[in-house]
Amino acid sequence: MTTTFLIRTQVALALFVLLWLGGFDFFFPNTFHIEAGVHGLSTISALVIGTFLTHRAYHLMRGVHINFESLRYWTSAATVFNLLGAISGNWVYMRYRGEGGAKDWILSHVPTFHNVMMEFKEFISLFPFALMLTVTFVLFYYGNAIATRRDILNFVGILMLLSWLFLLFGFVAGLTLAKLHTL
Amino acid sequence: MNNKIENDSPQIFSGIVVAATLAPLLGFYPLMITHHVSRLSKYWDKFIWSYGQWIPGSVGSGALGSTGSYAGKESLALIVWLGSWAVFHYLWRKQDLSLQSWLPIFSGGLLLVTLGFVHPVIDPVILLLRDLLE
Repeated sequence: MTTTFLIRTQVALALFVLLWLGGFDFFFPNTFHIEAGVHGLSTISALVIGTFLTHRAYHLMRGVHINFESLRYWTSAATVFNLLGAISGNWVYMRYRGEGGAKDWILSHVPTFHNVMMEFKEFISLFPFALMLTVTFVLFYYGNAIATRRDILNFVGILMLLSWLFLLFGFVAGLTLAKLHTL
Repeated sequence: MNNKIENDSPQIFSGIVVAATLAPLLGFYPLMITHHVSRLSKYWDKFIWSYGQWIPGSVGSGALGSTGSYAGKESLALIVWLGSWAVFHYLWRKQDLSLQSWLPIFSGGLLLVTLGFVHPVIDPVILLLRDLLE
């Protein structure tokens, strides 16, 4: 119970503080501040929920009893935020490639950040949504009966960790590119 | 409590998990392959792009820009992912497949496609393939 309280407080605090990382974008004097803000908020939410879910993943893999109803809600939320992150990612990617956008500037100053980092990031950032949708589908499909199969629980846990890993890669690369050049 | 769950539950088939994880893996590969193909050939880039025209923002210019052929790569990946998921789900929904055997194949496949997006690693291979095809 104390652990649950600690974890929830940590998640809520981290989410609240981190959201300003993207939230402040709305107040930037930039034509594309809405795009930037929406992408920031959805990806930060996805990252915080994804990180929170790694705690559940360890429990799943160790065979600790967990509340599957709650897990289904959390993975559904993670799936929605990962989808929003991908859709808003497409939205900011338009401007990234647009006239006077980040891509041209990066290519003429530090091309490796586009040629290696962005070309990796733009694709692997699509992985977390697909993996998290798979996790959510499996959890809903089997229902509580999933508890009887250790091998499936273990696999679902691994999928959640993989989704988080790709999310983290994409997040750090995205943040680095945003630091390099604004939208 | 645990016994009760076991007695009440219908039999579970792991084929569903294999289908649901093979499909996204298969979807990631067209994403990687179309990315390299569109870099090598303007003709194929346009061909790939044409699959993405239904996605808003795939065409356009000026400051707002567009996602360009990226939209087509996403569309082709979606078709392969969702299409193969439906087929494999139907085929394996009543089969118990070994997840222990599937895990190394899945992880290896995922690692391979991820490396396919790291240009310093994959570019020599792509250029070699191009030279072989010419």
